[in-house]
Amino acid sequence: MQKYELMAIISSKLDAKAAEKHAKDLDGRIEKEFSGKVTFSDFWGERGFAYIIKKQKWGYYQVSQFNMDASEVQNFRHELNLDNDLVRFMITKVDPKSPTPRKYADMKKEYEAQEKAREDEKKPADEKKPAGKKEKLTTVKTEEVKATEAPKATEAPKNDLDKKLDAIVDEASDI
Amino acid sequence: MPPRPKKFIDPFVLAGIDYIDYKDPKMLAQYITYYRSIQSRFHTGTSLKNQKQLASAVKKARQMALLPYVRYE
Repeated sequence: MQKYELMAIISSKLDAKAAEKHAKDLDGRIEKEFSGKVTFSDFWGERGFAYIIKKQKWGYYQVSQFNMDASEVQNFRHELNLDNDLVRFMITKVDPKSPTPRKYADMKKEYEAQEKAREDEKKPADEKKPAGKKEKLTTVKTEEVKATEAPKATEAPKNDLDKKLDAIVDEASDI
Repeated sequence: MPPRPKKFIDPFVLAGIDYIDYKDPKMLAQYITYYRSIQSRFHTGTSLKNQKQLASAVKKARQMALLPYVRYE
């Protein structure tokens, strides 16, 4: 018994439900027809291709690991070749050192979280500048308002202050 | 393309990755050039052992349309 991994692309002509059913059937066939044991299976769902395959731009991905006799693998491969709903598939030997693979949904969430963190790092720097400008503008306005209003309200005390200042200056000049 | 490090340090050793998985296209995309060829060891600083694993992983990912062979446009 050797450990293998199957990655299959189910064609986008099927519905999402039908594709998931087809993926489960693949696991069932491994155990029933080819006397294997499925140890890990993960239905990725829709995913776009990096290039066009058989006039299709996307497909449903299915990954499953299983133990199987080496003699059965050839038959399994032959059966998969006859399947018209599969766009492409690949059977690889699993490296005994390799850890159990992560689920695609978890991987996606991780990357989305990382992207969000990066965006949050960028955003504060961009947001601070306009916010600062706004604050400055408001402060300037208030100052202007004060400047215009101040002379009317504080004429009398200013005169007193001026007198005091003049007195001080005079004293200083005398010395 | 990641910036070339001053000293040649293996990025996979730094990240603590023992096994390079072909099912992680976003990770592999860091080690691919503008025209989608595999980045050389000179620029990334990977060890020979990891570079061989990386190359095989990228080739598998290309077969399953997780990564492109060539950059179109």
